[in-house]
Amino acid sequence: MTAIFINGQSVETGDHTTVLQVALANGFHIPHFCWHPELSVVGNCRVCVVEHEGRGVGIACNMPISDGMRVLTDSEPVRAQRKAMLQFILLNHPVDCGICDKAGECSLQDYHYEYNGETAISGDAKLHSTKFFPLSERIILDNERCILCSRCVRFTREISKSNVLGLENRGDSMLVRPAEGRSLDDDPYSDNVIDICPVGALLSRSFLYQARVWYLEPTPSVCPGCARGCTVQFWHRKAEWRLSGLDERHNTRVHRVTALENPRVNGPWICNKGRDLPELLDRPRATQALQKGAPVSLMQAIETARGLLDQAGKRVALVSSWGSNEELRAFRNSLGDYFTSFVKPDHLPLEGEVVEDDLLIRADKNPNTRAAQDLFGTAAAEIPDDTELVLVWGEGVDFGTLPRGVKILFLGSWLLPENGHADVFIPISIQTERRGHYTNFEGVVSPFEACQPHRDGVIDAETLFPLLSAPGGSASGGGAA
Amino acid sequence: MTGRKVLMDFEVTPTSHSLDDYRARGGYEALEKALRTMKPREVTQEIVDSGLQGRGGAAFPAGRKWQGIDPDDGQPHYLIANADEGEPGTFKDRWVLEYTPHTLLESMLLSCYALGVRHCFVYIRGEYDLPWRRLDAAVEEAYAAGYFGENILGSDFSCDLFVFRGAGAYVCGEASSLLGSIEGTRAFPRNRPPRMTVRGLYQAPTVVNNVETLATIAWIIRNGASAFREVGTEKSPGTRLISISGHIARPGVYEVELGYSWAKFLHEDCGGVLDGRPLKAVIPGGISSQVLTGKDAKVLTAGEVEGLTLDHEKLRSAGSSLGSGGMIVIAEGTCMVRLLQIMLRFYHHESCGQCTPCREGTGWMHRIIDRIVAGDGRAEDLERLNYIAGFNDGTTICGLGDAAGYAATAMLDNFRDEFDYFIENKRSKFAGNLE
Repeated sequence: MTAIFINGQSVETGDHTTVLQVALANGFHIPHFCWHPELSVVGNCRVCVVEHEGRGVGIACNMPISDGMRVLTDSEPVRAQRKAMLQFILLNHPVDCGICDKAGECSLQDYHYEYNGETAISGDAKLHSTKFFPLSERIILDNERCILCSRCVRFTREISKSNVLGLENRGDSMLVRPAEGRSLDDDPYSDNVIDICPVGALLSRSFLYQARVWYLEPTPSVCPGCARGCTVQFWHRKAEWRLSGLDERHNTRVHRVTALENPRVNGPWICNKGRDLPELLDRPRATQALQKGAPVSLMQAIETARGLLDQAGKRVALVSSWGSNEELRAFRNSLGDYFTSFVKPDHLPLEGEVVEDDLLIRADKNPNTRAAQDLFGTAAAEIPDDTELVLVWGEGVDFGTLPRGVKILFLGSWLLPENGHADVFIPISIQTERRGHYTNFEGVVSPFEACQPHRDGVIDAETLFPLLSAPGGSASGGGAA
Repeated sequence: MTGRKVLMDFEVTPTSHSLDDYRARGGYEALEKALRTMKPREVTQEIVDSGLQGRGGAAFPAGRKWQGIDPDDGQPHYLIANADEGEPGTFKDRWVLEYTPHTLLESMLLSCYALGVRHCFVYIRGEYDLPWRRLDAAVEEAYAAGYFGENILGSDFSCDLFVFRGAGAYVCGEASSLLGSIEGTRAFPRNRPPRMTVRGLYQAPTVVNNVETLATIAWIIRNGASAFREVGTEKSPGTRLISISGHIARPGVYEVELGYSWAKFLHEDCGGVLDGRPLKAVIPGGISSQVLTGKDAKVLTAGEVEGLTLDHEKLRSAGSSLGSGGMIVIAEGTCMVRLLQIMLRFYHHESCGQCTPCREGTGWMHRIIDRIVAGDGRAEDLERLNYIAGFNDGTTICGLGDAAGYAATAMLDNFRDEFDYFIENKRSKFAGNLE
């Protein structure tokens, strides 16, 4: 085992090969802009300098380990050079933190306070450059804020392999631009460049000026967009910063989605579909239980559903591949005996969507098919003509394909025309209103937490299933509201 | 005369660049000798023994660079002749390419043989048109004569050469950045480690040598390392091609034996400062080397104390370097503020923009000097220039960023009074134009 000394303290280097990696892994903070653990080393920001005792100051991200080497991360020459580099970087940076979406989570801001702390020593006017350059339908670029660390360029070359971004011109006129004949619209992972941008140069159009990040907090969750089950963070307003004068939706809405780093599933990346989850979640919700289209109370609907269940002869269930592990287990335990159950895909690939690739995106556009199939088998749904009751759980079933005259018990979350065609419709909660787990296609189980309040009139499927199977007596308690 | 000759040992005629003329003066004999009697490692050893230093600017021992490559390790190696002569004031490699391109080709074949290289390149700057045409014609002649291709001169040794024309960026003259240019990526200098002799062109071990360095090799192999050691000084053996320009009576390319008296070179061989004006300063090796002042030069002319000689150690001890051999002579009455402005404009324009200090620093210095020249100089400007230049030195990925810093610090150190005068009086201390 190789050991080096950082600030006089002996540390094991493990698998790492550079001083920066060892230092970060052992809790020594070294500022860095261009270095990113998943990207190649370019060493262009020159901020991560350390002193190799006896050898002088050099950049830590490209300093190879040698046994017994002694490194100082905070010596006088190191501090002076860091300070100078920050002065250089800030020379033409507009310092418009007041209107910058990145403020609050900006490396440049943090390092400035930690390692520079001085106002600009330059008395000259700053260079101007393009503001709001449209990189794609989703991303705009502010070249004045850009510090040319080239993380985004390397991301499109090394991770998403779309090779969309390049550098144009040279010197201090250098600009990040789409490569000739290419568009960032063609990169299904493009929004990751917003996350890895150390400053506020790359901006999400959907999040632009929506919220200051310090008013938001993340809730760990799982992206339901495909069978990969990437772990994500749903960012929503902190309770203590609740807005009382404006639309209540500002307080509950998911403002943005970012990746939650997870080496077992998605690393630090997610695809653009995951970024668009707020759109999926903001669809109009069904909150009213229905009986053949007529509004009834939730209790009444459950009662009727149980009646249907008791009377029907042949019963088939189309189980949701969006149900959590807990809900699926509750279904099998409570209703498994009543139904011949099939797992159905709630979502199919949309037109224009990337179906599958080598990085993250899977062809199965449902989060929990694996767990559902482990419980209910992999057979495709077959509904005999003499079926008397079909339980449809979740989206993706065209009622016109069901046998004529069959009774339909529909559990859904969204305001859809089908709701009124079911014999009984019971509104159930969505992922952001409850906690649970999804099992991805490789069998990795990831938890998600609730981050939005439970809607009135909506019941958790996990609570509903035991009620439907309860013999005789009336439904009581549970999550029924 | 400027001492013994290694490269300029023939008379330039309208055909002296041709293969026939080159062979008539002993050309390709060294190649035949090496292929018949020497093992690759012996060729490298000969270069190590000769003490040949790189002629591109850093004066790194060429043999030591070569020893970084194992010719028998079974992987591809590349050799690149750096003919992207972009350093302002430097035009010495042009002489080799125009008047004796076969010297370069023979030397490259010897080097390829020593280093186990199958494919070699000449990276020539796009602005060099005649040199390129002469080189291209020479390559064709050499192929036709069987000096390139398969089984050269009946031996097992095969080698192909490609001439690659650059597109005019100063940064492409930086060896690692040149690799990117050949590979077809953006010409950005690369971080060391890894050294290019470990991972260079197409990730394979690569040697990049200056044209003049390589061109010297044929002579060394033909005459032996000990003969080469007799030329020049003990620590700087051989000769240098010096391209001299500026306020000088007879500008041009001269071959100077290292250790030759500088005063003699300036005042006798080159005919002295233009119009007999007094010497103010000399930039000895391209603008990226530190400027030497007339004060030192005057000491020279008077032949006093330690006559400064043209060799690497002497200049290094004088705080500068022979650099790329592009000597610029500056006569008394030249405004150094405006000269620095021109130099900084160059560095700003040519900064590749990859790493922070050079990208921002060169532009910053350029804007400050522009302001001073425009008459808006401020008292703190010179401190600021020193600060920026200081942090450009040693913090960048490649040496060109350092050089931008040297230029400013050297000028400020030596001619501080002119800068102060300019800021205070909003005009130059000198009448007249620099141009």
